[in-house]
Amino acid sequence: MITIALSKGRIFEETLPLLAAAGVVPTEDPEASRKLIIGTNHDDVRLIIVRATDVPTYVQYGAADLGVAGRDVLIEHGGAGLYQPLDLEIAKCQLMVAVRNGFDYAGAVQQGARLRIATKYTEQAREHFAGKGVHVDLIKLYGSMELAPLVGLADAIVDLVSTGGTLKANDLVAVEHIRDISSRLIVNQAALKLKGARIQPMIDAFAGAIAQ
Amino acid sequence: MRNWILPENISDVLPREARQIEAMRRSMLDLFGRYGYELVMPPLVEYVESLFLHDDPALNLKTFKLVDELTGRQMGLRADITPQVARIDAHILNRQGVARLCYAGSVVNTRPDGILSTREPRQIGAELYGCADVAADVEVIELMFESLALAGLADVHLDIGHIGLFHALADAAGLGGEARNSVFIALQQKDVPTLKAACAGLPTEIAAGLAALPTLYGHGEVLARARASLPALPEVLHALDTLAQLEAALAVRGIKVRFDLAEVKSSDYHTGLVFAAYADGFANAVARGGRYDRVGEKFGRSRPATGFSLDLREMSRLPFPDTAPAILAPRGDDPALIAAIRALRAAGETVVVDLGVDAGEAGCDRRLVAGVSGWQVVPAHAV
Repeated sequence: MITIALSKGRIFEETLPLLAAAGVVPTEDPEASRKLIIGTNHDDVRLIIVRATDVPTYVQYGAADLGVAGRDVLIEHGGAGLYQPLDLEIAKCQLMVAVRNGFDYAGAVQQGARLRIATKYTEQAREHFAGKGVHVDLIKLYGSMELAPLVGLADAIVDLVSTGGTLKANDLVAVEHIRDISSRLIVNQAALKLKGARIQPMIDAFAGAIAQ
Repeated sequence: MRNWILPENISDVLPREARQIEAMRRSMLDLFGRYGYELVMPPLVEYVESLFLHDDPALNLKTFKLVDELTGRQMGLRADITPQVARIDAHILNRQGVARLCYAGSVVNTRPDGILSTREPRQIGAELYGCADVAADVEVIELMFESLALAGLADVHLDIGHIGLFHALADAAGLGGEARNSVFIALQQKDVPTLKAACAGLPTEIAAGLAALPTLYGHGEVLARARASLPALPEVLHALDTLAQLEAALAVRGIKVRFDLAEVKSSDYHTGLVFAAYADGFANAVARGGRYDRVGEKFGRSRPATGFSLDLREMSRLPFPDTAPAILAPRGDDPALIAAIRALRAAGETVVVDLGVDAGEAGCDRRLVAGVSGWQVVPAHAV
């Protein structure tokens, strides 16, 4: 049995064509059904639907053999014990620093002030500001980061930006680009070794589909 | 306060698991003995400087430290026994020829390897010093396979890599410090996109070689592909020759090999050949080992070295009977009863004297009862 961990929404939708290239078609739509385990046209391949941040954990401990996870999630997780052989080039976005419109970010950084940063991505925020030599107080939030600068909880946020619509709607501006994000195929190390005969052709099919 | 709660990732070993761990420990040490490995028992604590073979940042981070109140020096609780055994070989035994040593004991880690891992693995292993030939690696791998078979793992999959390949390529490219480390991590995770980005500025041949390593994965044909796609540096050719020799020697012994030339995941001290055993139902390798030839340099005597180790607590997830066979005997001072019990115990049977337990609870499958011709053993449920 090959188990593939995916998260609902954009990653699931954009992974479907890749799965199709490997000849795997889900028998149900996770948005319509509430099932967490979804069968496919192959008896020995199934999909499990988990939260995006949980995908690396499921794969690391062998509860899933393969998974699709954003690079943002992988960096936060640390990636220990995982293989990440392919950049699937899906679910693309950018990790950015954003502030309230009118906030003097460059000035605040130059003055050596301690910035308060609200983010879900504490590892990457810590690393980014340490690289700049800026001291920060990190405030870990789980959603609606855009609110933090507006209500005075933080000076800036570190968050994923895809179209910039949410920033604009909340009168925020992106001031720094940290990295481009896309989703990676991740593979459990033991699974690649023990079930390689079944998994390697899938990886190759995904790679072929991306190249096109 | 709930003062009976243990720290995270620390646990008691209860009777069933303890019986299994002890049975495996004994049978493995006996096996090592039959190969000529001598048992050593290094201390639980020693000065931190001697607990690491080189500058081992990962091992250092895993080591609990405390201050020796006699000297004011820093001591560490061992997080790995291999460096201690290397110290014994280099300095205490000081043998000129081959030395074979084995060990079994607890190690403690400041942080667990994973959320489900214990911070107190029961490490058992064997180390072979003084032989640089591939024959030493063959012996150690054979021993690892036999050990796993003793634990009940017959269907084991062996992966072999060679860290020398990475070092040869990185040295040729003049990679150092942070850049070398990021390439190393990308290789460890077979992270091809990051690897390609990290190799962008390197000489084309070397960059192509590094990027090819994660694809050099599979059975024997991998070596032919490696010769075609890796630059023909002397160290690279030597590493590939070693791998080919090892494959041939293991094939004669019925051990099948799979190569993973990007396999660099190992302890910091490994320098050459590395190997790992995988088995169904285990999300991580069940046993690991490899060459750590420059070892002992730090202890004043550089010796070739190879060895393997495994965690007995991991192995205790394998099936094992819940109870051991035992005989329930009535209590009493009848000399014939006492003699019967002594005779059974002398013959290796477990005899539990009934002090108010029932046979099931004591795990007894038989009873000692008074019969017409003296005391005799009958099935537990016979009346």
